[in-house]
Amino acid sequence: MTDGPAAASTPTARRGAGSVVVTGAAVLSAYGRGTAALLAGLLSGQPAFAPVQRFDVGARRVRVAAAMPGRPELLTEVTRAVREACDDAGLSPSDRARSPLFLAIHTDPAIARAAEPDQPGLGPDAFTASVADGAGLTGEGIRCYMSACVAASTAIADAAAIIARGHADRVVVAGGYLVDRDQFALFDAGRVLADDGQVRPFSVSRRGLLLGDGVGAVVIESSESAHARRVPPLARVAGWGRSGDAYHPCLPHPEGRGMARAVTAGLQRAGIAAEDLGYINAHGSGTGQSDPAETNALRLALGDAVETVPVSSTKSLHGQALEASGVLELIVTVLAAREGLLPVNAGFLGQDDRCRLNLVLGEALAATPEFAMSLNAAFGGANTALVIGLP
Amino acid sequence: MTPEAAIVPTGLAELHAAAAAVGLTVTSSGSWPETDADGEVTALAGFIESDFSPLLAQVATRALRGRAQQQASGTVTAIVIVTSLGDITSATRVAAAVDAGERVPPLQFFQSVPNSVAGYLAARWHLTGPVVCVSETTAGLDVAALLIDDADADEALVVCVDLAVTDGGRHRAAAILVTGPVRPERQGNRRIPRE
Repeated sequence: MTDGPAAASTPTARRGAGSVVVTGAAVLSAYGRGTAALLAGLLSGQPAFAPVQRFDVGARRVRVAAAMPGRPELLTEVTRAVREACDDAGLSPSDRARSPLFLAIHTDPAIARAAEPDQPGLGPDAFTASVADGAGLTGEGIRCYMSACVAASTAIADAAAIIARGHADRVVVAGGYLVDRDQFALFDAGRVLADDGQVRPFSVSRRGLLLGDGVGAVVIESSESAHARRVPPLARVAGWGRSGDAYHPCLPHPEGRGMARAVTAGLQRAGIAAEDLGYINAHGSGTGQSDPAETNALRLALGDAVETVPVSSTKSLHGQALEASGVLELIVTVLAAREGLLPVNAGFLGQDDRCRLNLVLGEALAATPEFAMSLNAAFGGANTALVIGLP
Repeated sequence: MTPEAAIVPTGLAELHAAAAAVGLTVTSSGSWPETDADGEVTALAGFIESDFSPLLAQVATRALRGRAQQQASGTVTAIVIVTSLGDITSATRVAAAVDAGERVPPLQFFQSVPNSVAGYLAARWHLTGPVVCVSETTAGLDVAALLIDDADADEALVVCVDLAVTDGGRHRAAAILVTGPVRPERQGNRRIPRE
């Protein structure tokens, strides 16, 4: 495969001048519904993985995931999260009626088993429109992102970029993935699921990833809009970066060149130095190739600061939420930074020399970062970096 | 964004017009079917049982072959995939295999998201920009314009693909390579209502 450009050739990232903030958030994870349940689960340090009860996994090589009890339904849960995020942001019905939705999903879960003539009516557009309608949001300007594990983070970056340029006052970004039999079968067939039942990012003897429920929604708006509504921001979306590896259909560039450019662009847009980062919520899938590539990316982009900035992958706790990862992990990052406790990188068995990072190990780390970064990567060599700042 | 609109794949003429409407310049393009010779989609190594990824690669390659031979050094090209239903053939086959208790082919895992064929194109053509997939054409062009305005890309390859989903239907796909100029004032998301 061809080599990607070095991080040093990263062009200067541009952004609009406006300040962008998060004013509301709502979430569902295997720890339960709500940000309080998620934060408590994260700070417990206890991974949420358990035998799958939601569907038959008898024929699968791995039979574990981080799934909440019962059979939650995606449209219901995403719509609920969007409503709750809007409630959290104090949006009035008329505010909501002027707010578009950017939604990150794989597709409508019903489409694969629908009769062929019915399939066009079950596409992601129709699903997104249903969520927007159910939550009282406008039907104009809505989008559905389906870019695998960077779908939600890309949607957040785009929403922030649009608002920073003054092209919109507010966008609601949501993402949803609930552990399902088809994706579980695919990941099992791809032999990427951890057959020891734990996700061990950046650790020796890591065995792969595990799927996890994740539904999240955030209200992103201009500082002026939040100020006019007298709503205190939860955090600022200070910077964002998106890049590609140009390396392989599904493997990351081993030197992390693409991800390094996303990190650099995120820092540039935030107007901060690597030393200003107080926490990185890593992509940290726990797979053999991805973790060393991410480590190399961080070493390339952060320089000496990589030795000191605390890093953890909370996929070791809540699992891999696929298209929803970006919004789930942004919420995790905001909750942790605001709480002053950084979640542990669970499942760690020992140092892998290819993954030397300042990992949060053992227990949550007390820290009050002014800036934190959430990283995501996906098949196709897609990378995103989101930088949040505490107000 | 109506369900009815989802069954009408975007053709090349519509794509050119939509790009112009958001201030993007089309530097190269390709479509499928282009001639009567476009009967069967050419297979793509590593992708099985569905025409989605091979068709996407084929139409994108047509657009990329048509661009200027000498790209400026360091040009960053984003890939923006637009598909209203995605790889519905693969999704349906996986569901059927799961329901029947049959083995799911491992290659289906790798092609289960549109990013994979984007990664193939990125590696083949050295496209180092972001990879995005959205479900609607205007959103895809807005994303392309935003990436260029933000300097995360110098140009974008926008590929629209939808498989025929009715008996007797025919796959359609179109791809355009678009570039700036950078227009910070561009109302690329003017569909979003302002307060």
